[in-house]
Amino acid sequence: MERKVAIVSHVQTKHSSDIGMPRERMLFNLVKELHNKVGITRHDVDSYVLCSNDFEAGRTISTVFEDTPVGAYMKDETKVEMDGIMALIYATMRILSGQFDTALVVANSLGGSQFRPFLIMEYQLDPTFDRQVGLINELNAGAFQARSYMDKYGLDEWFLDAISARLLRNGAINPYALRSKDDATPEYVASSEYYYEPLRKLHCYPFSDGACAVLLACGEKAKELCEKPVWIKGFSNSLETCRLGERELYTSPSTKQAAEKAYKAAGISDPANEIDVAEISAKFAHQEPIICESLGLFPEGSAEDVAKNDLAEITGKMPISPSGGGICTYVFSAAGLINVAQCCQQLTGEAGDAQVPNAKIALAHGQDGFCAQHNSVVILSSEEG
Amino acid sequence: MVNQSEVEFVETIVPMDFNYNIRAGKPIEDYLRGMAQKKIMGSKCTKCGKVVIPPRNVCGVACGKMEMVEVDQTGTLQNYTIGHVKITKGLMEPVEEPVVLGMIQLDGTNSLLVSEIRGVDPKQVKKGLRVKAVWKESPEGKFDDLAYFELAS
Repeated sequence: MERKVAIVSHVQTKHSSDIGMPRERMLFNLVKELHNKVGITRHDVDSYVLCSNDFEAGRTISTVFEDTPVGAYMKDETKVEMDGIMALIYATMRILSGQFDTALVVANSLGGSQFRPFLIMEYQLDPTFDRQVGLINELNAGAFQARSYMDKYGLDEWFLDAISARLLRNGAINPYALRSKDDATPEYVASSEYYYEPLRKLHCYPFSDGACAVLLACGEKAKELCEKPVWIKGFSNSLETCRLGERELYTSPSTKQAAEKAYKAAGISDPANEIDVAEISAKFAHQEPIICESLGLFPEGSAEDVAKNDLAEITGKMPISPSGGGICTYVFSAAGLINVAQCCQQLTGEAGDAQVPNAKIALAHGQDGFCAQHNSVVILSSEEG
Repeated sequence: MVNQSEVEFVETIVPMDFNYNIRAGKPIEDYLRGMAQKKIMGSKCTKCGKVVIPPRNVCGVACGKMEMVEVDQTGTLQNYTIGHVKITKGLMEPVEEPVVLGMIQLDGTNSLLVSEIRGVDPKQVKKGLRVKAVWKESPEGKFDDLAYFELAS
């Protein structure tokens, strides 16, 4: 019989622009907190999937000094160098294989204090052309993407301000968020300075230090370890071309493809009605509607309607990123895993003021690359089904 | 236990400044040889007929073999942004005069080329403007020989 995989527990740091301690200390504290929360020791974990990046850590094999603080030494341990949600998918597959009953996923980076995120992103460009020409950076590529969406659907910049304002307000009720403002309005966002038009400072992600750990287990083990396991019902990922000039930037075919596969596995046929809450990795305000529309959560080109009718609010018809999303915190390597943790809080009823009533099915999204080139989707449920 | 957040750290700067000599492959070499002669080289798929820049050996869409073709130096502005900042080695700083960056579809091509647009009021920039390539006076077979684009009269 096919195995089932569930999330037993999760922890994250209070994200910050400078967490004020070495990575190793941050990870030790984090995993210790998880051990105490679940009541286990490192010997109860079969397999470790660590997620960090050599460029971000500034040394080859970025995980080499992470093994010890997370308790992975002399254990089965492997590494993912992409978004943290890919590490979760990898760990899920390791449990599905039958070889392991439990797996701990730990993702981290210090993008606020240790490295320059825009420079790291430059190293994701094609080395023999785009990097040589030297004109593209993450911000102007994001601006092109925003403009592409606005031109396609005839929108002005207001929807960008409205999305950021909603997320900043959500961030104010998320104790882990880095940036927030409880009374943020579109006018407040529009008063921040332009970087690359149409993108303003508050349409862009803040540089963040942080980490997240998620403990997975096979079905029987998960029920032993916790009262409310969160079940992984489906997952997939897809990647687009690296050529910015050959993509339709107003949409996200890779998100669409990943979602179709994840929905099929989870038995979801009408995502907009069946999914109760979604945590979307949007590094820029305009990426939220592009990704949500490709996920089938909203009709194409509806960003302005969604904002005007408060559809994506926590109390709305389709709550998007109650945590505040990428506008409040974007921890490289950990962002997607943090989204998974936020979804788990929603499904176990622990989301506090951000709680979506009766949330049973959640969607966590993660991205990588320029203009969300690589997209991953995980469907989570509070019901074993 | 010592509260780590109260400890004053001495930060160490760890530079990683490597240079690699990568063989870019014949299509990019041909593109650079074209630059030296003030020509823009792309590649055309022998299966689907699409023309793309930068040139490459195999078409990513139709998987057909691609052949080198010279492309038109006039095109249409399809996307643009006005830069109020610049990013150098990952550090952002404001610029004195806004810079217009465009994604240009050169006539007869199926891809967009990113380049700076000069000689146009940022407030007047819009999709659909016709632009043409401006070259450095003495091209050397380098990427920046194609200096910028200006409005085509």
